[in-house]
Amino acid sequence: MKRAGFDNRWLPMLLLIPQLSIICLFFYWPAWQALRSSFYLEDPFGLGETFVGLKNYTRLWDSSQYMKNAWFTVWFATLVTFFSLAIALLLAVKADTVLRGARTYRTLLMWVYAVAPPVAGFIALIVFNQRWGPLTEFFAQFGWQMKIRLDYFDTAFAMIVASVWKQVPVNFIFFLSGLQSIPRSVREAALIDNRSGLSRFWTVTFPLLAPTGFFLLIINITYSLFDTFGMIDTILRNNPGDQPVTLVYQVYLDGFRGQDIGGSSAQSVVLMVLVLALTIFQFRLVERRIHYT
Amino acid sequence: MAELSQTPLPPEQARAASLERRAARPRPFRWGEAVNHIVLIAGALFMIAPLLMLVQMSTVPDAEIMRTGPSFAIGDRLGPNLDKALFGSMSYSGETTGINMFRNSMILGLGFAIGKIIIAMMAAYAIVYFRLRFATLAFWLIFTTLLLPLEVRIVPSYEITQKLGLLNTWTGLIVPLIASATATFFFRQFFLSVPEELVEAARIDGAGPVRFFLDILVPLSRTMIAAMFIIMFVYGWNQYLWPTMVSTEEGKFTLVQGIKQITQGLEGGHIPEFGRSNLLAILAVLPPVLVVIFLQRWFVKGLTESDK
Amino acid sequence: MNRTLITTTVATFGLMASAAYAETEITWWHGMGGHLGDVVNQIAEGFNESQSDYTITPVFKGSYEETLTGAIAAFRAGEQPNIVQVFDAGAATVIGAQGATIPVQDLLEQNGADFDIEDYIAGVRYFYADSDGKMIGMPFNSSSPVLYYNEDALAKAGVDAPATYEDFEDIAPALKEAGYIPMVQTHLPWEFVENFHSRHNLPFATNNNGYDGADGTQILINSPEMAMHFTKVKEWLDAGLFGFFGTSWDDNKAHFLDQSAAMYIGSSGDFGGLTAMDLPFKWASTYLPYWSEITPEGYQTFIGGASLFAMAGHPEEENAATAAFFEYLTSPEVQYMWHRETGYVPITTAAYEMAKEDGHYDRFPAAETGIKQLMLQSGENTAGYRMGFYVQIRDVENRELSKFLNGETSVEDALSTIEAEGNELLGRFSQTTTN
Repeated sequence: MKRAGFDNRWLPMLLLIPQLSIICLFFYWPAWQALRSSFYLEDPFGLGETFVGLKNYTRLWDSSQYMKNAWFTVWFATLVTFFSLAIALLLAVKADTVLRGARTYRTLLMWVYAVAPPVAGFIALIVFNQRWGPLTEFFAQFGWQMKIRLDYFDTAFAMIVASVWKQVPVNFIFFLSGLQSIPRSVREAALIDNRSGLSRFWTVTFPLLAPTGFFLLIINITYSLFDTFGMIDTILRNNPGDQPVTLVYQVYLDGFRGQDIGGSSAQSVVLMVLVLALTIFQFRLVERRIHYT
Repeated sequence: MAELSQTPLPPEQARAASLERRAARPRPFRWGEAVNHIVLIAGALFMIAPLLMLVQMSTVPDAEIMRTGPSFAIGDRLGPNLDKALFGSMSYSGETTGINMFRNSMILGLGFAIGKIIIAMMAAYAIVYFRLRFATLAFWLIFTTLLLPLEVRIVPSYEITQKLGLLNTWTGLIVPLIASATATFFFRQFFLSVPEELVEAARIDGAGPVRFFLDILVPLSRTMIAAMFIIMFVYGWNQYLWPTMVSTEEGKFTLVQGIKQITQGLEGGHIPEFGRSNLLAILAVLPPVLVVIFLQRWFVKGLTESDK
Repeated sequence: MNRTLITTTVATFGLMASAAYAETEITWWHGMGGHLGDVVNQIAEGFNESQSDYTITPVFKGSYEETLTGAIAAFRAGEQPNIVQVFDAGAATVIGAQGATIPVQDLLEQNGADFDIEDYIAGVRYFYADSDGKMIGMPFNSSSPVLYYNEDALAKAGVDAPATYEDFEDIAPALKEAGYIPMVQTHLPWEFVENFHSRHNLPFATNNNGYDGADGTQILINSPEMAMHFTKVKEWLDAGLFGFFGTSWDDNKAHFLDQSAAMYIGSSGDFGGLTAMDLPFKWASTYLPYWSEITPEGYQTFIGGASLFAMAGHPEEENAATAAFFEYLTSPEVQYMWHRETGYVPITTAAYEMAKEDGHYDRFPAAETGIKQLMLQSGENTAGYRMGFYVQIRDVENRELSKFLNGETSVEDALSTIEAEGNELLGRFSQTTTN
């Protein structure tokens, strides 16, 4: 991609130094430490260590609990991504077609984005409380006795609902903007060719939203993998028991809480590799989109 | 088969014109429209209800909440709880009042947003507009920082922060958070979508890279900057783990830390002060929400322009 | 000119004087939130006001885990606090790190304070001590698991509070008849595993419950007694004589509060909150039950909660300040105040006596149960336990026992899994302490 640019030699390096130096200090050095620690079993105070080779990695493969958490993470990411996108898309389409009150709806639907993750978790605990939670009572009407933190599925459900709740606003804004930037001529042509709203959506709107949709897909997956940490922490309150746990949270449990430096470092290296693959995938995909439009 | 029309307009335009006329006339009540509104109202309620619940819970005594949870009753504790939240302090030094924590969160949010935007813009500019041999490498170096969340690299980060003498300082709280690629990536996207003719024109005019950046590119990026500002502000504002590690003085506590300190009484025998923590939580939500609302126009525009 | 000279001289002397009286400052990192944090601040203020040589500043550093990790990170960076609060399950990590802390007993003796371990209540003496009985950490907020019961409910069913699990089996059907879940508990590992071993004087781990060192320590949870106990619990659960509502403390305790359960096993510290809630029924507490078939008389329990450690690497004056603070903290008045305000047990007999004389237990009989339980007979296995990575082991216990109670696994599989994974974790831990 040959672009027009400037020829200075020193200026760009000068401009890059702040970002690169911060990254070297606070990302690459810690990442290197994590990599190194993953081959040892060390005392957290730094007073002793034993070299154990790949042991910290192989035990993950053998651990059925790790596999269970990995599966849960995949399911969790998939469901949160899917529902956050689907609900946001539905709301965006409706907000786009409605003439009156569009701005009010937009405001009302947007603010949740700013809620801190621990607060979101706290709200989930209240709303799904085993005995008096409003949603627990609601579902009890349908014969579903929700027991979060006792029943694996119920807790997973609560986590997914809370994550979706927090993520819908961001997707909503992206989708709405995408919809509102579809040129008028295209809309009119669509009106003429397709009488049914549904067919209009699938043949015209959806393909035009695809670039936005793909971009959001990756953002949502990243969110569900990493940014749900605070919310999960609040719901499980450091007592995971037999409840669902994502891989990132497991790293926190073993490293931060359990002081198992070697074990948690190995887990984070595995996560790093997985997210690297995801990042490359994202990069390639979005790059292609840029050329398309 | 297209209908033959009597007017001189071509059929498609005639159809469009008639649809427009129909839209302009006052329309009779239509179920489709009502359904749309119902869906939107349901969505809005889904979003808003929890906040209202928090408010209700701060109007009743805390012991009641332990027993019965939220209800529709409005009690009389809102005033005292508000007073405690804003002016009551939980720390030894007496400095963790709601107002102080608000100020600290504000410093963190603003400091992080501004710092991150400036550094990211500079880095993205360098990568996009200069013929650097290692531009791609630099970009990937920056990009891979998405791989390892802060929670995982927190102890080594702490060590570096201490070696630089930045523990318990605002710099130490803000700068390490800047080690992530999001904003740089966004700005790179945006700069790539800016027409190349602008650069050509600037060079012909004899403008150097600095002039181009300051006089042309930055103003052009206004919407992106606003969008990024909102995202980064919320990110910094909601930070919990890093401030907990790096602050050794309670005077620097943020709102989120304050909330956690209150609700920590949850395990064990004592009744946590729900009313106070809920009000702090609402206080914690207000500025980001206000920022989002006021900058809404730019936010929406900013994010979509980069898709081009 | 004369005036300038005088002013300068006075100022200089003033500066010198204040320099001479510069107070040594020490810091205390803790994880006490809410009301507990307020009392911590009170103690600190009391200390600072009681003398003018030292100043202590308490800092809330998050949860127990965040406080410990913060202290460890600080230690590695050379910025550690003087005093750090460490929870029971994290004690092994701190004690296993040779050179990270100064044993409290050494610190006090080196600074001229009298130290006699007999001053402390029997049950708290040795949990944070080494295998020679030297106290390394100072117990701070300690509690003991006790049984709370709804007196009205028991009266309605016409039964008395049980002393043993056999008694419980006798009275449970009547309670169920009267419309209650007879019993719930709030922390499977602490109440049904760790303190089970203590109450029956059963060994919990090899190597003298782990005190002799991390090398080769194995957990002894896969025992016939444990299998019997949990099989019984599951039977009770299935028969509606026991309720299980997950691993959250509050979710289980809530059933006692709303009177759907007649009794619950909780912490001796709970009584404060219970009093504040002004419950619409009469309640009282008694000792944690035990099986008389395993042991005719129950033994004392382990303590739970957290303790204070003095971190190494500080200059002499600061260590002296730390020692002075510990002396202040263990004085009867302060212990009594802490005990009264928070419900945690006082750690010295003197404080206990003071509370008794003050009539505290006449006002709050439930407050005495925990202390008295810690003063029951001791045995070889009642000092405590020291296992590394115990936080993770507790997670495994919670996980497997929950699965068992939910009917997803058998008691043999659950206990064997805990044993296997527990031993793997213990093996890993012993490798971290090798130099």
